[in-house]
Amino acid sequence: MSETVLSIQGLKKSYGKLDVLKDINCEIGEGEVVCVIGPSGSGKSTMLRCLNMLELPDAGRIELHGNEVFGDGKTRDLDVLRREVGMVFQSFNLFPHMSAKQNVSIAQTRVRGRKRGDADSRSVELLGKVGLAEKVDEFPDRLSGGQQQRVAIARALAMDPKVMLFDEVTSALDPELVKGVLDVIKGLADTGMTLVIVTHEMNFAREVSDRVIFMDQGYIVEQGKPDDVLGNPSEARTKKFLGLVLAR
Amino acid sequence: MEQLFNLYFDFGFMAEHFDEVLAGFWVTIKLSLVGGLFSLIWGLILSVLRQLPGRVFAPVRWVTIGYIDALRGIPLLLVILGLSAGLATLASEGTIPREIGIPQWLGEEDPFWYGVMALTLTYGAYMAEVYRSGIEAVPRGQMEAARSLGMSHGQSMRFVIVPQAVRKVIPPLLNDFIALMKDTALISVIGLVETVQVGSDLYSTFFIPSGYTLGAFFFLIVTIPLARLVDWQIKKQEEKFERGIP
Repeated sequence: MSETVLSIQGLKKSYGKLDVLKDINCEIGEGEVVCVIGPSGSGKSTMLRCLNMLELPDAGRIELHGNEVFGDGKTRDLDVLRREVGMVFQSFNLFPHMSAKQNVSIAQTRVRGRKRGDADSRSVELLGKVGLAEKVDEFPDRLSGGQQQRVAIARALAMDPKVMLFDEVTSALDPELVKGVLDVIKGLADTGMTLVIVTHEMNFAREVSDRVIFMDQGYIVEQGKPDDVLGNPSEARTKKFLGLVLAR
Repeated sequence: MEQLFNLYFDFGFMAEHFDEVLAGFWVTIKLSLVGGLFSLIWGLILSVLRQLPGRVFAPVRWVTIGYIDALRGIPLLLVILGLSAGLATLASEGTIPREIGIPQWLGEEDPFWYGVMALTLTYGAYMAEVYRSGIEAVPRGQMEAARSLGMSHGQSMRFVIVPQAVRKVIPPLLNDFIALMKDTALISVIGLVETVQVGSDLYSTFFIPSGYTLGAFFFLIVTIPLARLVDWQIKKQEEKFERGIP
């Protein structure tokens, strides 16, 4: 495997008595595209949110490019981590009081310290890449869910992250809008970017990923090449889950 | 019946004493604006203190919550009387400087400033709660999105959360301002000659309550348009909400 970008060791997280993540160990390599699948409540979203500290883990270690960003129950270099790791949410979370362009520009100017003009031209370029060249000045309430999600992707990309995290980004979309968003993610995978994608789209996972991770009840149950995990799973729990979702 | 009408709506009497009541109302307006402005600022400070994150600031949060709960639960009249009595006594004993204990800043008498202080202490607590509810009404995902882009807590508040919260708090803040303006009448108990006190003085001299009526008119000229403005703002926001803006 290529150089490790993210390394996760013994990650644990619980909400009160509910243990959501019990012992997660995982390494993600440079340029790797990893899809995380599993039933709801399996902890996959929580794991993703732990990776940029939107949830604080209870125990374990997280390293980004060999630098510890979480360990001994404490975060280190949180700002560095968040600058290097981009995140796209299920519910888009665009800033409703800003146009598409402003949404993409705001963190560039405030966090990266870019000049307003430079940030805006980068925003326009990125919005063009996600197929929204004509929507740069629209506000989120004038955009469809799929368009909003593509703005959100552009917004995260504008920070030039080393890793992008996608948290069920098509789950809130109408079926006909899903493809446009998945195509954008596929385009990113083709550029060699490191992606961690929590998804329910099995066909997409098979097509795009280098590795599929199956999670259940707070553990990584099985992982491997998409054709193996999705086509010929070795664990009974994986088989059962795939039987349920693929039977649709 | 006609007698009663004439008692309260003695237009000749109103015309004769119009300038006195207007002068009183001018004091009411000044007190409302100054007290309202300080309440806005003090409320904002309180709400920020109340929402400081982390364990270190827990004592600050508790003290702030205690203050807000206390001031919202005490009659304003009691704050007015207690505050003016305390400050005046301390100043006359020489414990605190006279300029602070018996303030006569900018050509206004001390009851005016006691009134500003009492209104600020009480309405600051009310407004702190308004700010808080406005900030809490912004969906959680907004803060998460801002933080995930690398913005600090402060930057996220400033560029993402507060601009959205401001729109939500304008109607309730205006409502509080209307209430504050009406409550300025209470300051008359410590000798401030504002709208109600002028009416009261006129009544005790002439035994005609039409001065009160004229004062009431003055209040309504300001409060009714403000109340309509609140309704209009709320309606505008509901329409936006229906179009799907969070």
